Amino acid sequence: MNTYEVFLKKAGREEFRHVGSMQAPDPELALPLARESYARRAEGDLMWLVDRDDLIVANEALIAPNADKPHRHNDGKRVADRRKRERGEA
Amino acid sequence: MSLTATDMSPGTIEWLTGFADDEHFIGSRHASWIGLGPFLEEDLAFCSIAQDELGHAIALYELLTESVDDFALLRTPADYRSAWLCELPCEKWNYSLVRHWLYDRAEELRWESLASSTIPALQTLAARAEREEVFHRDHADLYLSRLADGDDYGRAQVLTAVAELLPYALALWEPVEGENDALDAGVISTASADLAASYTTRVEGDLDRWGFEIAWPTAIEGQNCRTVRSAGFEEFLQSLQEVIVLDPNATW
Repeated sequence: MNTYEVFLKKAGREEFRHVGSMQAPDPELALPLARESYARRAEGDLMWLVDRDDLIVANEALIAPNADKPHRHNDGKRVADRRKRERGEA
Repeated sequence: MSLTATDMSPGTIEWLTGFADDEHFIGSRHASWIGLGPFLEEDLAFCSIAQDELGHAIALYELLTESVDDFALLRTPADYRSAWLCELPCEKWNYSLVRHWLYDRAEELRWESLASSTIPALQTLAARAEREEVFHRDHADLYLSRLADGDDYGRAQVLTAVAELLPYALALWEPVEGENDALDAGVISTASADLAASYTTRVEGDLDRWGFEIAWPTAIEGQNCRTVRSAGFEEFLQSLQEVIVLDPNATW
């Protein structure tokens, strides 16, 4: 059995979203089984399946060092405050 | 406009009741796999097919009666018109899978026979059902073609079930009483004997494509134009009645 990650997209401008994973013996059989597991109530109009073996998975050590950099977070407050000052509102 | 059974000839009612009862019981039997399918994803897929068949049964029953639940569940066994193929338990997966293929191959032909019916509601229903049935047939084919390409064990499982169930499937085409009335009225377009011939061609074509050779059997006997129920039917019907008999007057 292979494991597949299932993505669905509804009509319009919404992006594909991950909705879960599933098992199937091969890609051809995975499609109808994914349809019944995740889209039988018309949850999406388009579907992607990705074999989990085909995912490029990042090592946690690659991602973790960015967790302690508050200077990279911008909530826009300082800019908003400056604009208010310039408009004479604050 | 809602059609009622009073507008239909007895032969038409008999034919439609036979189809509706087949859909009801095949759907119920398929649904017994819920929670027990070979793996979760197939459990969902097979029971989704079961729900489609039950949906067809309801739509057909609605043409025949005002009280679908009573008609579907509370007739005496002799008043049902199901074929034995649809009544059998088929408790093993190879049997359920092969029956699913044999039944849906036949269902395809029955909807084709209704596609240009003089009853407009049946035309609409046939078109809707066929959109679902394409998937059902693909589903059966995906499994059986893989089993056919697989090892001797899997091939033997398929052949064992085919040998036992094909004679039941061929008996789907035993005509009901008054079938000619339904033909004359244009409710159905094709006689059972002609559907049986097309069925043989399609089933043989599948078996040939999968590389299975079988000795073609004859249909089982004893259904008596669908008026006789198979062994074990009463127990099956009682299991379906478990909820409704708690309060037959309840409104859902």
